[in-house]
Amino acid sequence: MSTNSSTAGKTILICEDEDTLRELIRVSLGPGYQFVEAVDGIESLELAREVRPDLVVLDLMLPRKTGVEVLADLRNDRSMRDTPVVVITAWTHAQQAAVAAGADRFVPKPFDPDELRTVVGELLQRR
Amino acid sequence: MNESEGALVSTAAADSEQKRSRRRWKPFPLAARLLLASCVLAALVAGVFVLLLLAISTLRDATDREAHAKDVVTSAVTTEKLVLDLETGLRGLQLGGNRQFLQPALRSKAEVPRRLSELEQEVVDDPTQLRRARQLHRSVSDYIELYFDLIIDIARDSPEAARTDVALAEGRRRIDGIQDQFASFVAAEDAQAARSAQTASDRADLAIALGVLGLVLSAALIITFGAYLARSIARPVRGVAQGATRLAAGEFSLRLGEGGPGEIGELTRAFNSMAGELEQGQRELREQNRRLQKSERAKSELVSIVSHEVRTPLASVLGFTSLLLHRDTDDETRRRYLEIVDAQGRRLNALLDDFLDVQRLEEGRLQLSSELVDMAALLQEQVQLFEAQSELHRLELEVNGEPLDVRGDPNRLAQVVGNLLSNAIKYSPEGGTVEVLGRPSNGSVRVSVRDHGLGIPADQHDRIFTKFFRGDAATSGIAGSGLGLAFARAVIEAHGGRMGFESTSGGGSTFFLELPRAGA
Repeated sequence: MSTNSSTAGKTILICEDEDTLRELIRVSLGPGYQFVEAVDGIESLELAREVRPDLVVLDLMLPRKTGVEVLADLRNDRSMRDTPVVVITAWTHAQQAAVAAGADRFVPKPFDPDELRTVVGELLQRR
Repeated sequence: MNESEGALVSTAAADSEQKRSRRRWKPFPLAARLLLASCVLAALVAGVFVLLLLAISTLRDATDREAHAKDVVTSAVTTEKLVLDLETGLRGLQLGGNRQFLQPALRSKAEVPRRLSELEQEVVDDPTQLRRARQLHRSVSDYIELYFDLIIDIARDSPEAARTDVALAEGRRRIDGIQDQFASFVAAEDAQAARSAQTASDRADLAIALGVLGLVLSAALIITFGAYLARSIARPVRGVAQGATRLAAGEFSLRLGEGGPGEIGELTRAFNSMAGELEQGQRELREQNRRLQKSERAKSELVSIVSHEVRTPLASVLGFTSLLLHRDTDDETRRRYLEIVDAQGRRLNALLDDFLDVQRLEEGRLQLSSELVDMAALLQEQVQLFEAQSELHRLELEVNGEPLDVRGDPNRLAQVVGNLLSNAIKYSPEGGTVEVLGRPSNGSVRVSVRDHGLGIPADQHDRIFTKFFRGDAATSGIAGSGLGLAFARAVIEAHGGRMGFESTSGGGSTFFLELPRAGA
């Protein structure tokens, strides 16, 4: 499965505090995207406002500001109300909170790299 | 000494005096009170009845005496008539000389002494009347012997001699005297009858008065008794019943006034003691429930933390393994992925080791070596190690140069110091200075690590050494298992030392440990 023309060059913001997981997400999604990476909640919001990503991959457990708070702030920002957000977390029971806060998809940790790639591809194509 | 002994003795005496007076004033049992009240009531009613009976009996006596007096009067009048018959017969003989008139007089003469004796018998109980009756008897006997019989004898020889004025006057005088005596006897007896009638009337009045008084007193006593029962039994019992209802509704702090006689007092005391037990039980249950909820919360927190702490490295292991299996990778990339898998696998293993160590330490199953350890050197090593890990933080070590020897397990002690340094760095995310201090203190070695970071809110202080407790870090993304401090305290306590901390929210934290100084 290669990246098709409609998703090529899209910007994806990865919000995850673990270095290896950021790398895993990046590698899982494969080449063809532009990646921006944030290591805590506040940096996530700053980068989102700065680069206006086409999609956000968000870990719920972030330092300084939790993923749910970041998500709520994104949804309150008119320019990013419709930006697709994929939530990744080990807190399986946080799924409801994430969906309530406006997550488009929910991927439990540990995740399958191919599944993540498929989910992201679908969301970007839908736009 | 003597004075205090005296005071002691007098206190004891006062105590026993108090006890005695309490015993003396201890109210009668209720049953005894009821019995006593019933007895008083019964005695009163019985007394009134006895008085009534006495009055009635006196009334009957008085009536009897009145009737007797009337009999005596009748008897006296009859006797007087017989005496007058005697006189009439004699006068007929004197004036008419006719002996025929004498027959009824002679019959009377035969009867009069018997009648007079009977009269005496009838008034034998009354000395005055008896005296009068005897006097009468004597006067009548004198009249018969000294006049009646004499005149009959004289009249037989010379009717004229019996008819002389002197003889007639003498008869008249004697009869007048006898009539006077009868009159005063009858008058006295009438007076007696009247007195008895008056007494009977008085006694009847008294009996009625006594009856009414007894009735009123009994009624008053019964009402008082009823009121007493109501006040001392019904009201407290109702109070207890209402109390029981309120208690049943959950008002466990309710207590009743412990007054009341005998059994009522016992009832309220028993009620209060029951309420106390219930309240105590309720409190214990609530406390137990609170502890259970807390432990339940801790358990679910533990499950969340373990799942998260295990899943994060596991996500890397599974993710990169999947990439290795399903995607084409060059040698260099493959090697990088394998290194990551290896590191994350080790991380998982270390987490499990930490967990098991704490578990073993808490159960007293962890083997600790016992070597001479210089804490000053150990601090030096650890500070150098951690200084290299963070560019944002500056670690300042202050030891006064002399060795700080303790006896223990060097690896575990190094782990403890490492945990404290790691925490100081992790919980001051903005960077800053971490001050590490080692010095001797009262036969101990004291180590403290001070940071200027986030600090610990007061409401979390009592849980900070709890296994897997991470405070706000659990949701703020600061990494860790929540085992570091639990492990550290368990190790220090296993070495015979102690651990503690001072911290305010936003004002940084100082964690310290004290270990017994070797050879001190």
